[in-house]
Amino acid sequence: MKPTPKVNRAPIKISRILMIALLSIVAVGQLFPLVWLVNFSLLKSGDLFVSHILKWPDEPQWQNYVTAWVDGKIPQYLLNSVIVNGVSVLATVILAVAMAYAFTRMRWKLKKTILTFVLLGMMIPIHGTLLPNYIVFGKLGISDSYAGLIIPYVAFNLPLAVFIMTGFLESVPRAIEESAVIDGCGIFRIVFQIALPLLKPAVSTVAIMTFLNTWNEFIMASTYLSNDIYRTLPFAVYNFSGQYASNYSVQFAVMNMVAIPSLVFYIIFNEQITKGAAEGALKG
Amino acid sequence: MHKLLKNKRTIFLLVAPGLAVFIFAVFIPIIVSIYYGMTDWGGIGKPNFIGMKNFTEIIFHDEAFWYSLRNALLLGAAFVFIQHPISFIFAIMIDKIGGKLEKVFRAIFFIPCVISIIVTSKMWVSIYDPQYGLLNKVLDILQLGALKQDWLGNPKFVLPSLIVILMWQGFGWALLIYYSGLKGIPEEIYEAARIDGAGTFKIITSITIPLMKPVIRVNIILAVISALKQMETVFLTTGGGPGSTSQFLANYLYVKAFNSAQYGYGNAISVLFVIVCLVMTFVLNKMFKSINAEY
Repeated sequence: MKPTPKVNRAPIKISRILMIALLSIVAVGQLFPLVWLVNFSLLKSGDLFVSHILKWPDEPQWQNYVTAWVDGKIPQYLLNSVIVNGVSVLATVILAVAMAYAFTRMRWKLKKTILTFVLLGMMIPIHGTLLPNYIVFGKLGISDSYAGLIIPYVAFNLPLAVFIMTGFLESVPRAIEESAVIDGCGIFRIVFQIALPLLKPAVSTVAIMTFLNTWNEFIMASTYLSNDIYRTLPFAVYNFSGQYASNYSVQFAVMNMVAIPSLVFYIIFNEQITKGAAEGALKG
Repeated sequence: MHKLLKNKRTIFLLVAPGLAVFIFAVFIPIIVSIYYGMTDWGGIGKPNFIGMKNFTEIIFHDEAFWYSLRNALLLGAAFVFIQHPISFIFAIMIDKIGGKLEKVFRAIFFIPCVISIIVTSKMWVSIYDPQYGLLNKVLDILQLGALKQDWLGNPKFVLPSLIVILMWQGFGWALLIYYSGLKGIPEEIYEAARIDGAGTFKIITSITIPLMKPVIRVNIILAVISALKQMETVFLTTGGGPGSTSQFLANYLYVKAFNSAQYGYGNAISVLFVIVCLVMTFVLNKMFKSINAEY
């Protein structure tokens, strides 16, 4: 998104101030619940019952965060989230590039049919597969491994990824690949060493969409995984609401801790996420 | 070139892994679901084949099913008629402001979308809590104590309260998509209009909205489909209750299968749910295509 020069600014000054004021008020309203959450995570649990909507923490209760970190098993869940998401994003990108290449560049009979079949997947809701996969994964024993999450995550992100990749590949000229073919390169070198770098913008869109879809995913994780040692970050919150049912400050602390990694990630990759998410959503 | 690009083995190696994952985790489950949907299986023992009985039972006698569908449509309507007009206007304002502030506002409005649904859902449960909730405290401060409620416990208020949560959670997405669409309109068009003496309102109604039609179409389809697919927030806040007043299809099939041990029945709902989603996607696409054709 390149900045476009705005002309005629002077006459609309008042309306500009009004717009900023309105946006600010709504922005504050939008973020206020989160501020409230942070505020009371630093207080004693009983403080929540006072009538103030915000209260200055005279003695910030940092131990709420220590409890959240330890009893919420944050380090373990965070590591699981990183593993599951890392592998899912990587696998989605690789499989999508390979498929998109075959769908756009290669010549074969069934390609239209199979492409349509895969793209149909964009319309199928994940919830329609929860019950059967619960049984199938259980029978095959993959509900007791990272694969129990990685496989469905990849499967559900693949249709959109293939859609974005094929669209993009069609706009990339074939000249470079053709000269590589003449030079006698193998097909996998052509796909992953020559085509892949040209696909960079599409790869980043796919990676961001896949990441946003899977990082906070909760319902598949709670349905398929039978063993706590593979569970991902959202479970820190889920487990806590039972165990610390009446200790609200600690619950708020664990909620903030789960939110922090995605916020940090968002702040670092703000530009790319904005661009990638919009592109992914618009194309999907 | 031709030889290499026609090699059947290479094609197979490129397509098969992805296709296998897709078939295994998306396609086969649907088939399995159709099978279990025709049984009376409760989770243990042998499933008995009962044909279409579950399906007819759901369609003709299950109030909760129709309630869920109605709720999804109400949510979709709230997205389209409340959330989207606001996010559209906000996108225009953010686009107009320009500079550093533009980026700041864009980022702020998207923040709720990057935070895990489990966090924002549990947060809203706390906001609505009748004892310590933020909302009731704010009402007290505004001298509106009479309006205090058990927001998620009262059958009259639970659906509107839930819809507020969902509009809050999805606002940033709707805004971001409109905003990106606006960025695609070349500045020269606005300039030309301004030189011709068009005012801001005129520019919005006769340039921005017509040019944004494709984006509006996609965004509205996305919103209605996401209303239909709603599950996580319901699951984490009301669980569909009290009664079925805030029930949604995806949550209902889950509750039936796992809480009421009616696994076969749950699968039948699941199959109908997938069908409803597919049909709705086709219908929406067709509907909007014919609208576009008029221009």
